[in-house]
Amino acid sequence: MVWKKSDDPPTHHPEPTPAPRPMTASAPTPSPAPTSIQNEPPRRSSTNATIGPSIFIKGDLSGEEDLVIEGRVEGKVDLKQNNVTIGKNGRVRADVFGKVVIIEGEVDGNVFAREQAILRQAGAIRGNITAPRVMLEDGSRFKGSIDMEAPKETGGGSSSRHSDREANRPEATGVKATA
Amino acid sequence: MSWFSSRGSGPRKEQGRVQTEVVEPDVHRSLALAALCEEIRRRKLQVLDLGSAVGSNVEFLSQYGCKLFIEDLYAALASRTTGSDGELAGPGFFAEFLSLPEDTRFDVVLAWDLFDYLQRKELAAFSEQLRNLTNRGALIFALVSYHKTIPAQPYRFRIKDEQHLIYERRTGADRPSPRLAPAEVTGLLKGFRVDRSFLLKHGIQEYLLVRE
Repeated sequence: MVWKKSDDPPTHHPEPTPAPRPMTASAPTPSPAPTSIQNEPPRRSSTNATIGPSIFIKGDLSGEEDLVIEGRVEGKVDLKQNNVTIGKNGRVRADVFGKVVIIEGEVDGNVFAREQAILRQAGAIRGNITAPRVMLEDGSRFKGSIDMEAPKETGGGSSSRHSDREANRPEATGVKATA
Repeated sequence: MSWFSSRGSGPRKEQGRVQTEVVEPDVHRSLALAALCEEIRRRKLQVLDLGSAVGSNVEFLSQYGCKLFIEDLYAALASRTTGSDGELAGPGFFAEFLSLPEDTRFDVVLAWDLFDYLQRKELAAFSEQLRNLTNRGALIFALVSYHKTIPAQPYRFRIKDEQHLIYERRTGADRPSPRLAPAEVTGLLKGFRVDRSFLLKHGIQEYLLVRE
């Protein structure tokens, strides 16, 4: 495995869960009310899967949990049902699919967010953003286009179908990298 | 990823005295913006923003459901390598700067105050590129200063609402203004004509130019 997790492995759920959620079993405090996407974009949780700064992945990434990328990824990041964060050290040369996509590092590729794309002050995108809501913080660097139409199921192709199939499997948790 | 390394925000040709005090942004009424918004709300348009990425402008334009392209012209001019000082950006530079998919055509171009930061020959070359990338009837929103001096770097414009723009200075330094006259603007921007023009109290002429 070429990624690391910042928390214990996920517990096995006997039933398929309709939507993946952070692994709160080992969280130090009781889970607060769900973060409102409208008011406060999700911040990084300690239970995300993380690709560390020294990791380089060439290939496709897919999975069913939130992901933080602090390393380098070339290929495709496909987590349509989950939040994807490109951390300050993250360098991604790939199309990124996610529910909420937060960019603090650098992305050379297109970003497709089902709910919201957020380009933080230190972030940079060279590519196009497709998302119903887009937030660019001042100081961020952006070159490309922004399409804020309600997204269709864009760009999934075979990976999208693969992702849906995987979502129906109860053991399909975690993030997978395929070269 | 060489694009990431150049923030391109440095002054292009700083002239004049550098002032250190913080300048508060000014809010000015914009009649051309109000007219432009009337046009934008009618249908989904493709908008080219030649200024730097400003989050509040993206948010504002999102209500019209337009597709927005952001290509920071001033940053590109500032970061280009010139063989000799004073070399002008030619058609090749602008073609590379706006190297977009072949079928891309814009309905609205937000040029802000960038015409004041192009030499006249550069403006003519740029307008040629814009002509190739715009639909007939496309609108260019531009602001031209009649002051003797302008800030050494373009303002960062923030849309406050449909009728007001916030002018944010990026530097205290000034440079001479080209003071483009209306006839010069239309003469240099071949293929475009002035649709509407407003001279504002604070010495800025607002233009809505339409592609013929």
